[in-house]
Amino acid sequence: MTINPYHDKRLQWVAYAIFFALLALVPILLDDAFLLNQLSTFGVYGILALSLSLCWGFGGILNLGQGIAFGLGAYGMAMTMQMQSQDIDTNPIPPFMLNNALESLPMIWEPFWNTGTGIFLAVAIPTLYCLIFGALMFQARVSGPFFAIMTLAMLSAFYTVFIDLQPYTNGVNGISPPMPLEVGSLVVDPYSTTSYWIVYAVLLLSTVVAKLLTQSKFGLIVRAQNNDPERVRFLGYNVAVYETLIYAISGCMAALAGMCFTFLTQYVSPSQFDVGFSISIVIWAAIGGRGSLLWAIMGAFIVQGAQSYLGDEFLNTWILILGFFFILVVRFLPGGLAGLVELILGKLPNMSKQQKSPGEKPVDKASLKEA
Amino acid sequence: MAGVLEIQNLQKNFDAVKVINDFSMDVIELTLCCLVGPNGAGKTTTMDLITGRQKPTSGSVTFRGHVITGENEQMIARRGLGRKFQIPAVFRELTVRQNLEVAYSHEVNALKNIFSFSSRQCDARIDEVAEQVGLQERLAVIAGTLSHGETQWLEIGMVLMQDPALLLLDEPVAGMTEQEIEKTADILNTMKKTKTLIVVEHDMGFVREIADIVTVMHMGSLLAQGTIQEIETNQQVRDVYLGTEDH
Ligand SMILES: Nc1ncnc2c1ncn2[C@@H]1O[C@H](COP(=O)(O)OP(=O)(O)O)[C@@H](O)[C@H]1O
Ligand SMILES: [Mg+2]
Repeated sequence: MTINPYHDKRLQWVAYAIFFALLALVPILLDDAFLLNQLSTFGVYGILALSLSLCWGFGGILNLGQGIAFGLGAYGMAMTMQMQSQDIDTNPIPPFMLNNALESLPMIWEPFWNTGTGIFLAVAIPTLYCLIFGALMFQARVSGPFFAIMTLAMLSAFYTVFIDLQPYTNGVNGISPPMPLEVGSLVVDPYSTTSYWIVYAVLLLSTVVAKLLTQSKFGLIVRAQNNDPERVRFLGYNVAVYETLIYAISGCMAALAGMCFTFLTQYVSPSQFDVGFSISIVIWAAIGGRGSLLWAIMGAFIVQGAQSYLGDEFLNTWILILGFFFILVVRFLPGGLAGLVELILGKLPNMSKQQKSPGEKPVDKASLKEA
Repeated sequence: MAGVLEIQNLQKNFDAVKVINDFSMDVIELTLCCLVGPNGAGKTTTMDLITGRQKPTSGSVTFRGHVITGENEQMIARRGLGRKFQIPAVFRELTVRQNLEVAYSHEVNALKNIFSFSSRQCDARIDEVAEQVGLQERLAVIAGTLSHGETQWLEIGMVLMQDPALLLLDEPVAGMTEQEIEKTADILNTMKKTKTLIVVEHDMGFVREIADIVTVMHMGSLLAQGTIQEIETNQQVRDVYLGTEDH
């Protein structure tokens, strides 16, 4: 058996290190604030793709509603930022509420007076939601396409609720906090290197956590249950607990991404819960390679980058082009770009050595999940 | 001697069909009991009922003094019951080593397993078990590429990693060559020194090599129980086997 460098654990860490070193150079080499802000948003998409790769690529749990955790995190951050511009004595109620004839600040907004509490809730609520929803579904052994459809249904429910609760959420108009986020004495200006570094730190932290998770015993059991959940149960593990946890950890990362998104755009709206957006996350992960954390992130960069620069030229056909590539990947390259790289790296050392037996597949699904 | 497993008046209906019909049986500690019977006799269903994969219509299963009927699969597994499936169930996308690692289920707590990266006890146990089932050279191989016999041994190895008190093996030599069967008999004969086993098997030659006690099932009920000599001379058993057995 020849060893594919793609599967070398040490080389994998090296690849991650190079990737993050390159990302760290961006704010040093770049002095275009607008572009920096855009690249920071790509970082947010990267976190989302990574979170989905963890849940779907490793755990086999297809989540078509990753926008829920993302949106809840984004709204939590928007509420926190909005309250930073209100004054408890002179001006306690956000303007849009006054327009909606609210006379006092709603109860659920109260905790967001405090920035620390607000930030905590912005990540805790979506994570808790994932824990509860996941536990309900997985205990009942809802899995595969049935689970995917349930997440989609919940996503639509959130979309509708956030539009309908106009006085509390400003409906379709969304919330646009007038001032950038302030944490203590730090002002998180969306067009500054500060916000870039925060996104960078969240992406780096999420990646390291995800990578360690996949290499732990927990990660191994998650992969095993993706293979055959029944067998795992007969070994004494409660599969539902493992599924719920990986789903919630993934949701927690998406919530962090949502929070970053809000301070980068100073705006949040129900479009975060749009079905199309959650599907895009799936497409990023699929094109990059859902079995590889790093390539899922790259998938988000590549697809969103292409959309920003080519999307203008192919304005109306962009979605068709994307759909075409998605089908291409699903049909011919189930491992995404990661699978392609694995294939190429696998061929390299074989050039000098003997030919493989013709029946042997150069890539097997299992090895994809190593990366 | 103590009965590790007591099955009492077990009954299982699928719709109107009585698949298991008033079946009772006792398994004694540190014995190897062979469960034999023609195809469709209800052997696999009995295993499903013991291990919690199916719920009995009535009757009870007691393991080491605890009634386990009604408990779910993972609870029963944690009590010390390991199972090998009739259709070999290994994690085909994982390596042999990883399969054994997953099966080392001494710690089932998910939160604790998040912080567990490698365990010396587990590695030591993997070496032991791999040697016992003869897979020490194959640890790095993806399980999906193993031969049929090797897959069967891997699954036996997985049950061993679990370190249960009672092992249920459903047709462990199905599809094996003569030499492979020979080797499996050796493995089982070593295992029964420290474990209690129930082995489902058709092959009377194999049963003769391993069994302490033979239980014969027919149409969901107990037909006979005894030593291999008693069973082989039992007229009722002969009738059933000669009447329905197709090999
Ligand atoms: N889920 C099921 N629904 C209906 N009938 C079943 C089911 N599972 C098993 N049976 C029937 O129960 C009988 C016993 O099956 P099984 O326990 O697999 O036999 P054995 O393992 O002894 O060959 C067979 O007649 C089979 O058709
Ligand atoms: Mg059977």
